[in-house]
Amino acid sequence: MWIRTVDRPTLSEKTADYNRFSGNDMFALYRPLKTQRDGAGSFEAEQASMAKRVMAWIAEKKPGYSLPDIQLSEGAWTVMHSTKPGSGLLSWTRISVRTPGELGTPRHTAPPAEMANTVKAAARLYGAGLVGITPMNEAYVNLQAPRENEKEKDKEIVFEDVDAPSVSDTRFVIPKKMKWVVVIAIPMDLDLLSRVPTALGDAASALGYSHSAFVVSSLAEFIRGLGYEAIPCVNDTAQSVPFALDAGIGELGRLNKLVTPEFGPSVRLCKVFTDLPMACDKPIDFGLVEFCKRCKKCADACPSRALSFDDEPSFKTRGPWNNPGHKAWFEDSYKCLEYWQKSNSACGICLVSCPYTKGNEAWVHEGVKATASIAPVADPVFRIMDNAFGYGKQRDPEQWWTKDSPSGRKG
Amino acid sequence: MTRGADVFTVTIRKRTGWFWGLAGLWLLLEVLFVQTAVASVGEGEHRAATISWIVVGLLAAFACFAWLRRGGPRKRGHSSGQQQEASISEPTSISSVD
Repeated sequence: MWIRTVDRPTLSEKTADYNRFSGNDMFALYRPLKTQRDGAGSFEAEQASMAKRVMAWIAEKKPGYSLPDIQLSEGAWTVMHSTKPGSGLLSWTRISVRTPGELGTPRHTAPPAEMANTVKAAARLYGAGLVGITPMNEAYVNLQAPRENEKEKDKEIVFEDVDAPSVSDTRFVIPKKMKWVVVIAIPMDLDLLSRVPTALGDAASALGYSHSAFVVSSLAEFIRGLGYEAIPCVNDTAQSVPFALDAGIGELGRLNKLVTPEFGPSVRLCKVFTDLPMACDKPIDFGLVEFCKRCKKCADACPSRALSFDDEPSFKTRGPWNNPGHKAWFEDSYKCLEYWQKSNSACGICLVSCPYTKGNEAWVHEGVKATASIAPVADPVFRIMDNAFGYGKQRDPEQWWTKDSPSGRKG
Repeated sequence: MTRGADVFTVTIRKRTGWFWGLAGLWLLLEVLFVQTAVASVGEGEHRAATISWIVVGLLAAFACFAWLRRGGPRKRGHSSGQQQEASISEPTSISSVD
């Protein structure tokens, strides 16, 4: 009731500058930018000092950086690190599923609405928290895949009139007949995420990525098993956020990330491109943009001052990591990543501090979100109450290992 | 019941809509904050749980205070302007001559 469907996503205004993104995100850009700003060798020096710091923190058993803390995160990355776009679990072609032909049956057909329900049910079974379906928009697909090392050449991503997707040393080919995108949000473990910025807290993101790889690869195989083509993607190949906005998963918030009404911004996004015809979902409006205009809690909480304090979203980007031509509260990703290096973690304070990031047990959260959606005049009160009740504060990393909770059950 | 010179007067006070409205609101808030307090422990939000329990206690204390205040004036034979009264002043089966 308080989550309204709308024809266009909030903050959907775009200009002629909006084009396919280069694919060079902050991770690809940080090294050259650091060198450009602080001189030759500055990136390498930063990496070396980070490595020394980690070793010292492990030795002194700094809370959140003990050996078990660090290795918990490393273990959680395993599935994601064992794959890469176009290969392994994220293969653009069939891995092991039997085709309908092999089972002596034609491919599965059903009305688009029924097909959408079938795919969503499968996605939820595999671990999706939220699922939406939207038409393919080529403008959201990256121009190329970021190179993995300096020696490698860029691999361009192209759309062609072909029957099946393909991956070569130089190109990723998406068939033009792939007109549907299944967008999936994987909720992160909130109890673990509340321990950021530490190596222990990073495990929540790591696990989110590994779950994403598992969910999209399983769903892609399911779709192939029905007799259609499917391309599973995590962060790679295309911008997940605009697809998620179009699919009605959430709205774009002040932290320039997707905020969902159910889990706030504490989700990982992934998607599957397919030629399986399905009914599409509509974008949603739950009053987030108005809330973000007044709240600014994430910007206050950000230790690197990377988030915007502007009252209104604008078209003004903050660097080459932002894709121009659309309205947003753009962030300074350079400052953000610099803090990652200092804290030896993937931070995530903005995710935890957002008032929409809440557990799902207390009824009051639903009431507050509903009221914020229909009566924005109450938004400042909710921000004050959120602080007063102590939400968004870092929890003691050391307690995670002994607490009795689903993610840290006592033996 | 007021002892008069010749008769007992039985006063029946009807609860007003305001009373039931406030009582309903109080009950709703109590249930909401008890649920929030219990759920917040499950969510690991201990400060939220503590504050919720304090609010539950304050609401309960307010209700006790209001109840006692209501009882006081009635014993003294006062009637609230908000309350409607139905008085039986003629000797009836429920009245008795002193």
